[in-house]
Amino acid sequence: MTLRLAIIGCGKIADQHLLAFRRIGGGEVVALCDRELLMANQLGDRFGITACFADAAEMLRTTKPDVVHITTPPQGHFTLAKLCLEAGAHVYLEKPFTVTAAEAEELISLAENKKLKITAGHNYQFTLEMLEMRRLVAQDFLGGKAVHVESHWPYDLSDASYVGPILGSKTHWVRQLPGQLFHNLISHGIAKLAEFLGDEVKITAHAHQSPRLHSLNGQEVQDELRVLLRDENGTTATFCFSTQIKPGQNFLRICGPKNSLFVDNSSGTLLRLENKSYKSYLTFFVPPLKLARQHFHNARINVFNFLNGKLHQDSGMKELIEQFHRSIKTQGAPPIPYREIILTARIMDEIFAQIKNPAK
Amino acid sequence: MLMDSIVSPTDRILVTGSNGFIGTRVVENLLARGFLNLRLFVRPSSKLDKLKQILGRYSAGKNAQIVAGDLLSREDCQAAARDVSVVIHLAAGFEKSFAGAFMNSALATRNLIEAFLELGQPKRFVNVSSFAVYSNLKMERHALLDETCPLEDAPQERHDAYGFGKVQQEKIVRDYAQKRNLPFVILRPGAVYGPGKPDLSGRVGINTFGFFIHLGGGNELPLTFVDNCAEAIALAALKPGMDGEIFNVVDDETMTSREFLTARKAAKPFFSIWIPYPLAKLGSVLWENYSKKSGGQLPPVFNRRRCAAEWQGNRYSNQKLHDRLGWKQKVPLADAMKLFLAQYQ
Repeated sequence: MTLRLAIIGCGKIADQHLLAFRRIGGGEVVALCDRELLMANQLGDRFGITACFADAAEMLRTTKPDVVHITTPPQGHFTLAKLCLEAGAHVYLEKPFTVTAAEAEELISLAENKKLKITAGHNYQFTLEMLEMRRLVAQDFLGGKAVHVESHWPYDLSDASYVGPILGSKTHWVRQLPGQLFHNLISHGIAKLAEFLGDEVKITAHAHQSPRLHSLNGQEVQDELRVLLRDENGTTATFCFSTQIKPGQNFLRICGPKNSLFVDNSSGTLLRLENKSYKSYLTFFVPPLKLARQHFHNARINVFNFLNGKLHQDSGMKELIEQFHRSIKTQGAPPIPYREIILTARIMDEIFAQIKNPAK
Repeated sequence: MLMDSIVSPTDRILVTGSNGFIGTRVVENLLARGFLNLRLFVRPSSKLDKLKQILGRYSAGKNAQIVAGDLLSREDCQAAARDVSVVIHLAAGFEKSFAGAFMNSALATRNLIEAFLELGQPKRFVNVSSFAVYSNLKMERHALLDETCPLEDAPQERHDAYGFGKVQQEKIVRDYAQKRNLPFVILRPGAVYGPGKPDLSGRVGINTFGFFIHLGGGNELPLTFVDNCAEAIALAALKPGMDGEIFNVVDDETMTSREFLTARKAAKPFFSIWIPYPLAKLGSVLWENYSKKSGGQLPPVFNRRRCAAEWQGNRYSNQKLHDRLGWKQKVPLADAMKLFLAQYQ
């Protein structure tokens, strides 16, 4: 089965989708759509795609794609995804999946009723080191259910091309989201936690504005977030989003009852933290050497994967798209369980409610 | 004041990007010419100290309206263009992505032109473009690059989002001239330098790998000092009979890449290594081929088109600028370099 793909939303991220889709091969891009037709045309000109539309309904009617990737700002996700599902197309929704958890639940329910697939653009869950982490967890490396999970997600404020327009306009779409800057940036980091948490999660969230953002005239926008989570089974988690911590920390630490894992998404590496004890001063000599060996192994693996063409800047996106499209073709399970998509949205809802009203 | 102008001193002139490196100099040039009714469009997040300092130097500066907004907003464009006779469009998108560059260059320009045609009293739209729009891939080394040279037709291959945005922006301007009779002039400045812009032009070299690689060798640089460039922009906005014209902007006196780098290093030394053009070309070809073969594992940041555009070397002409606009280099090279290099002290 050759998948016929359409893209709605021809902004920055659409390029990455098209490049990943090209690398996967075996499919056809049948249409590009953006409410600003010139945006669809510029993307079409660069990728040799002629069917460009300004109206999503017309695009769906005319080209009848099998799958639609929606890469618009999140405010349009719910309406557009619903339109696509009702037209019989599978849907890949860029992050954040929807603006609220209620919308996420409704979309997933609609997809299930229509026997269509839907997924969220949590591509950082599909990088090479995350796939290896998942393989080890499936092999019970942790020795049982995770006891505690930590997720750090950074953002560098020096990228003025992103922050500048957001701070420059109160009507910018990021400023219109309930969680503003956090809403557009934290779903990757929260989704990593959702994989290890049960459905009933208690949350305590704190947010503030960093001095750096204050100096940039950040107005009401906050950029530092700390969250403590605990699920119904007692698994705890912490989440840290920071624009200030240097170097930027992008990692996931999964602490198990037997062993633990440390996934560093910044360097694409994975450390196995094994529960072994050593006599006397060997405690100070052996574990560092074993860690050094793992770091060396990670470097070797990354070089090997680079030379073999497996390590790309957007390995995660290609892998997620490939798995999602395969699930459509084989009618298999979607790459991200729907439970996790909904849980991620619920956690985000609660975080934004708490930071908006700290007294709550 | 220019004796022969399409607008009177009281006509309203809009300058977008007025708080930028070139914009502030254009504003000063217009104030010095006695224009009393300037509207200065700035980004809401801009720090306006420098612009306000310039306005404070001229009595007409008190009349200047500063309008903060986003050119991607049609409402903001309408507020900016209402009752305007001349637009000097300097605002530029420096986004790294192609889509972002297109939005901030082409879409923003489309919005501004529509507002100008609808609510202004259009006498001229001055579109400030760039040398980045040219392609010299099929030209001989050191051939003359002038306004008749071909434009880049594969910006994606050149991996130059800024150049792509500028090519598309020019296309929008020409489309509106054809369909809606927009009176326009396009200016393409070369490498603009001056105080307030400490970074060296990519035509001299790059800093990508943590140290400076000098790639321009003995090539002539298309230098234009910021005040000389501002003079050309002001003339293009005012002089009658220029509609539909395109001008390259380079100074009479320029330097080679090596001379420029040597002067810069004398002001504040740093380490650099020189790579001759044939080696740079070979490296670019290998990089580009690997990028294609690997499906973009390495982004094609080095490629044949960029290598030719930035380091192959051309000669440049400002004959048209002299002949048609009557432009003269106001700031001599020696003075310009003193002002430029003082920022490193």
